[in-house]
Amino acid sequence: MLRPTPMKHVRLLVIDEDLPRASLTLAELASFHADDRPPEEDGFAGQPSGAYRDIWRQASSRLEKITRLIPLPPEERTPSPRVIPEEELTATNNWLGSLWETCSRYEEEFRAIDDEERLIREQQSALSNFEGLGIDLGMLRSKTRFLDFYVGLVPYANVRQLEGAVGLADHLLFQYMVTGDDAHVVIVGPSGAKEAQLESVLRSAGFRPLPIPPELDHEPQVMRAELARRREGAAAQREALHQRLRDWSTALTGQLTSSREVLRLAEPLVQLDSAIRGVGPLARLAGWVPAAAVPALEARLRQTLSLPFDLSSRDPRPDERPLVPTISTRNRLLAPFAMLVQQYGIPRYGEIDPTPLFAASFLLMFGTMFGDVGQGAVIAGLAWYFRARLGRFYLFGVLAGVSSIAFGFLFGSVFGFEHWLPALWMPPLHDPLLMLSLALGWGVFFITMACILATYNRLVIGNWAGALFGQHGLVNLIFYLALAWGGFNLSQGQAFGQGPLLLVVLSLGVLAWHGWGHLDAPVGEKVLVVFIETLETIVGYISNTLSFLRVAAFSLNHAALALAIFTLAEMMGPVGHGLTLILGNVFMIVLEGGIVMIQVLRLEFYEGFARYFAGDGHAFNPLRLGPPRERESLP
Amino acid sequence: MKFAASQAYLHTRVSAMATRLFKPDTLALLAQRRAEELAAEYDLTAALESQLPVKARSRAVEQALINTLLAELRILIRPMEAPERTLILDWGRHYALANLKTLIRGKLHDLDRKVIADNLYELPHNLRLPMQDSLFQAENVLELLRQLEGGPYSFIARQARVVFERKQEPFALEAAIDQRYLTGLVRDMAPFTDRHCPCLRRLIGALLDRLAILWLLRFRFSYQLSSSETFFQLVPSVRRLHRERLLALVNLDSFAAVLAALPPPFQVLLAESRDLMDVQRRLNAYLRGEALDVIHEGQTGVARALAYLILREQDLMALFSLIQGRLLELPAEVIKVAIETSSARCRLSERQAA
Repeated sequence: MLRPTPMKHVRLLVIDEDLPRASLTLAELASFHADDRPPEEDGFAGQPSGAYRDIWRQASSRLEKITRLIPLPPEERTPSPRVIPEEELTATNNWLGSLWETCSRYEEEFRAIDDEERLIREQQSALSNFEGLGIDLGMLRSKTRFLDFYVGLVPYANVRQLEGAVGLADHLLFQYMVTGDDAHVVIVGPSGAKEAQLESVLRSAGFRPLPIPPELDHEPQVMRAELARRREGAAAQREALHQRLRDWSTALTGQLTSSREVLRLAEPLVQLDSAIRGVGPLARLAGWVPAAAVPALEARLRQTLSLPFDLSSRDPRPDERPLVPTISTRNRLLAPFAMLVQQYGIPRYGEIDPTPLFAASFLLMFGTMFGDVGQGAVIAGLAWYFRARLGRFYLFGVLAGVSSIAFGFLFGSVFGFEHWLPALWMPPLHDPLLMLSLALGWGVFFITMACILATYNRLVIGNWAGALFGQHGLVNLIFYLALAWGGFNLSQGQAFGQGPLLLVVLSLGVLAWHGWGHLDAPVGEKVLVVFIETLETIVGYISNTLSFLRVAAFSLNHAALALAIFTLAEMMGPVGHGLTLILGNVFMIVLEGGIVMIQVLRLEFYEGFARYFAGDGHAFNPLRLGPPRERESLP
Repeated sequence: MKFAASQAYLHTRVSAMATRLFKPDTLALLAQRRAEELAAEYDLTAALESQLPVKARSRAVEQALINTLLAELRILIRPMEAPERTLILDWGRHYALANLKTLIRGKLHDLDRKVIADNLYELPHNLRLPMQDSLFQAENVLELLRQLEGGPYSFIARQARVVFERKQEPFALEAAIDQRYLTGLVRDMAPFTDRHCPCLRRLIGALLDRLAILWLLRFRFSYQLSSSETFFQLVPSVRRLHRERLLALVNLDSFAAVLAALPPPFQVLLAESRDLMDVQRRLNAYLRGEALDVIHEGQTGVARALAYLILREQDLMALFSLIQGRLLELPAEVIKVAIETSSARCRLSERQAA
């Protein structure tokens, strides 16, 4: 469970013609993670699927735009695999292109109705505004012999610049209202030579004329009714257009669904595009496949490919380890913990997958720090109740709650009451010093394990120097265990001890010597850096171990907080007593539960992961066939 | 990082980076070297040595130089606070707008998709056009602008669409895009306090003054636009070529009259210029001088960083012109004109004298 799934690097050589079929087969098996690196073999430079990819992208974009207007039912199933030749893809793309042309006309019609509605709204606003002006608006409606009038809308951002520009054409601009991004303006000036000049500027400024209807001179209420009628008309027009679109598109749904299927089946080749290189009629594909899946892959390729091909596989080379994808755990119980681990990083191939260790230590620490049968049951119950909303993460809440219940039995605590249940072990407050000692011991064990894992992870990739002398490597571990040994002696009232002292001095000496050799600096600087690094090692390990005291501190805190709530409740009447107990428990679950979770995550990430987990790996993301939703649900 | 510490870091960064800027005689010295030598010195060998056609190699060199500039931009914005970062990133977005114009031209002229793709700059995530892939797939200009309206470029896209719907001219469309971009840059200055403002005003003012003069002369006398249309397309500067001055200048009827009516120092700087190339060369030198002053005397990290980027861009683009000239095997004097180490008029008089 801790070891990564073994992977193989595979190279597939196929004849160009078989490339779509090969990609489809790889997608069907869902075990091929593409390797985008340029090939090591000479000559493979071309990208044989370039044209296919371009057509697919255009067709997909068209389909996406079309389905905004003509919604399709969700994809229910994976289409039956079949090869999509370039001719069929081109035909689909052309059909979608012509369909999109019609659709875009519909879109423009919808936009025209929107614009019409906006204009009516602006006219309604203008109507209210004009009413108060007290001028003969008939004068603004048409040109006179001597004067030009322009009434309309212009983007607000252009008003100032337009004012200057029309000024140069001997016109004046008045802004009388602003609505949204637009300003309502009246431009007036002498008729004549500069009219054409002005027209051009107005077009550049995005000026839209606002017609002043004749009714406005006499009967604004008639005009108001007319505008309302026009708005209703626009709404009816939109509904009619929707209906026309529905009528037109109903017959197309089947063909559109088929087009979507064609694109889905053609997608694997496009997804592989960056990993395909070609020379002449030969195409080369490379990728990573779980070792156990290679024989099945070869057998399937033999069944499906009609032309000769070559499939070769090998173990990843040490220098390739950072590139090999890692398959995350498929255990259902561990899935929520894997999600949290992935927040920190994805295990590098070869690295120990920390998920099971993380899950076990997380539950152990959470239960210790928040041990209560009742409160644990509430947490587990809530997580179960909201499982639909929490998705796979609900199991995290359930397991945390179960851990809290288990420790609640050990501590004999139910909603803070310590006399309802006999403690299987003891309530934490009965012996705080023992709790603190156990937490310290747990800290030493945790850090020791982290150092062992760090050493192992480096040994796996052949980093011997790192495993021995690197941070949290073997020498560090010897130093730490010697320090812990000496510390234990001191706690027993004895001297630090010669054995531990010798080991501490020797290991620190080795670390200092190693650090000295790797520094490229003047002697003075080297002395300073080595001294500070050595000091940091000592202080770091001591403080990191003491950091685990919080495990005991929170379990004591939990019991103390319950005591405080009971004391408060005792001071109340019967109703207040009950209310205080309920609210106190809610407070503990929400606030203390949250804090404990953060503290445990902090210990896991900072004291654990930071020591042994590089987290710079890549998730295994194989080529798959099928709708996106279905792909997400696969492990 | 606290403000004082981040400023100290930024100042140190700019000062260290400023040592990379070309000295006054650097370009003249570089002009004497072969393309391979230049490529080796500026880490462009991979771009130059490929077996691709000249145009593709030239494009690869340009892309590599832009990558260098934008990598430095990303280093400089690291210690910056949000408004400073916005200003610098918005300045850097002129490459995204260049991509937008390429897409628009491609859609307008119905160019082959590969031709369009080959002419797009590859930009880092925080500087590239939002949804560039989907913009690339748009079937026409209107669809492209409507898609862009849904994102952070709505300010530019909406104006461009409205203009395009009313006036289907590529010039008007691109002018609207440039105008909105520069207006956005001026707007980015608003959050800065008085302490930062003089340096930034000086720098952005110099940038806008330069563009205002160039565009005024180009629109009015090369494109023969009316004074109203010319004025509408200009962006008033926050320094010398402000709105009132532009209103007076666009009404003048000749190239010489405009140059004579310019405020100091442009009146002296551009005296006796006869063509736009010469004006551009002199204005580039002016902007360079202003930016160098900001780097040397500026008290504000963001202004110094912007000044550095403007200068660095000038240098890298001159280097690109030099290498491109070599790739196209242009005569040495043409290359010198392109990199502005000599004026076209000087070259012409030399040839006439010979």
